[in-house]
Amino acid sequence: MTGDAEARTATVPEEAAPADLAAAGPTTGGPTDGVDADGPGRRGPGTGLLALGVVLGLLLGLAAGLLAPGLFRPGNDSPEAGFARDMSTHHAQAVEMSILAHEKTSDPDVRTLAADIALTQQAQIGTMQTWLKTWGLSPTSSQPRMAWMPDGAGAVKDGLMPGMATDAERAQLRAATGRDFDILFLRLMRDHHLGGIHMAQGVIELTDDEQVTALAQSMVNGQKKEIELINSLLIRLGAQ
Amino acid sequence: MSISTSGGEQRRPSVVSTGKKAPAGDKPAADKATGGKATGTKPAAKTASGARVPAGRTGGKKPQQRRPVTPVKVSHGRSWGNIAIFVAVGILAAGIIGYGAYAVIQNGRSWEDKAAAIDGIVNYRETDPSAVDPLPGKESHEPGPQTYKVNPPVGSTHNNAWQNCMGDVYDAPIANEHAVHSLEHGAVWITYRPDLPADQVEKLAEKVRGNEYMLMSPFENLDRPISLQAWGYQLKVDNADDSRIDEFIEALRVNASVEPGATCSGGITATGTTPRDNVPGDQTMPQGS
Repeated sequence: MTGDAEARTATVPEEAAPADLAAAGPTTGGPTDGVDADGPGRRGPGTGLLALGVVLGLLLGLAAGLLAPGLFRPGNDSPEAGFARDMSTHHAQAVEMSILAHEKTSDPDVRTLAADIALTQQAQIGTMQTWLKTWGLSPTSSQPRMAWMPDGAGAVKDGLMPGMATDAERAQLRAATGRDFDILFLRLMRDHHLGGIHMAQGVIELTDDEQVTALAQSMVNGQKKEIELINSLLIRLGAQ
Repeated sequence: MSISTSGGEQRRPSVVSTGKKAPAGDKPAADKATGGKATGTKPAAKTASGARVPAGRTGGKKPQQRRPVTPVKVSHGRSWGNIAIFVAVGILAAGIIGYGAYAVIQNGRSWEDKAAAIDGIVNYRETDPSAVDPLPGKESHEPGPQTYKVNPPVGSTHNNAWQNCMGDVYDAPIANEHAVHSLEHGAVWITYRPDLPADQVEKLAEKVRGNEYMLMSPFENLDRPISLQAWGYQLKVDNADDSRIDEFIEALRVNASVEPGATCSGGITATGTTPRDNVPGDQTMPQGS
């Protein structure tokens, strides 16, 4: 009891402490009476407090359970959300060029590659757009392009993310025909893939979200393989 | 003994009031001989809490009967620490819940709400659905020129082919019949009066270039220098620096699509206000224009 009292006194604010100590001094022996009184007294209200604590704890748990998904899923300015938005845009241009190639080329290998890229990347756009919906986020944002990536904003030129074809290059591609078209498409797509791989590797470094890492890694792997194929096709076409 | 006990009785309530600062510190004092002094003075000042027990159970003559009484007060005095903890936990919990709710609500704010909050925006989906629904007697997709109720149009009947909206910046007017189809796919179409200063045109172009579901073109006979269109929505502003332009784009680009997932590539890239549907080879071949 004495120890208890002293321990508590130690936590008392300064103003109150001296008086308490002085009062406690002469009575160190403390009547057993008081001890007895404390015992039963603590249990009654203690049970109430315990119940209160349990209820409070349950409410806290409930609230946390309801809100945690909202707090712990990627936020509006997160790398995951930025990646999903920006890679969707990046992919959209690859789809545009590949659909064009599928329509215009007369080279079966180029046509197959174009179909592969267009269908794969359009599917991946769907996946990323679904993430944003699941996370309760808009597919649009006031964040600048690539802002989620360290030094990312500096990689944006004329509003274009790394590897993206310029308006002039897109117009050139639309106008090109035959072997010239095939070579231009393959070169533009190789640059596009290099930029895309850079972005995918960027998010892999930043995220611990498994599905984001998995898709980004599949982009890196798939596009690296496609770059090898593009290089071999360019060699066959007598270009590089 | 009875004195000290009663002292404890009344002294402790006094502890309750001072207890905020020194919950347990006074206890020893209460149990001691000093209680005698306190009994005389402090209880009087703190009758509020002290009075409860004496009032109800003063009749108790035996010390044993008083004991159950005393604990009630004692526990009150000692529970302040616990109460403080619970209050702290409660405040913390309220903070967490409050922040969580705020975050969820902010994230969950719908694009419709964001659009509605833009000053001056017109939501034709609500105010005039006839500007969005198919023209009288026509399907949603019809070949050839169409006459629109709103200028520039924000919806209604359009051609099968859409205008390419892969961040395309067109330097000449385009066909409404294709642009409206782009809106249907979720594009935001920025139109500007041909006399808009070049630096402002460039500022608008920077918002478009590189962004799919965006397109831009000059437009004759606009009543304001700049007009933005999404499916069913329109906002007219006077200056390219107007912050509502970005708000409009953020709220409605992609979101306003009535065909989610529909793309912007594969559309007509040629300019000219005459619709080009069913012109072989024209959809992606600018040299054919």
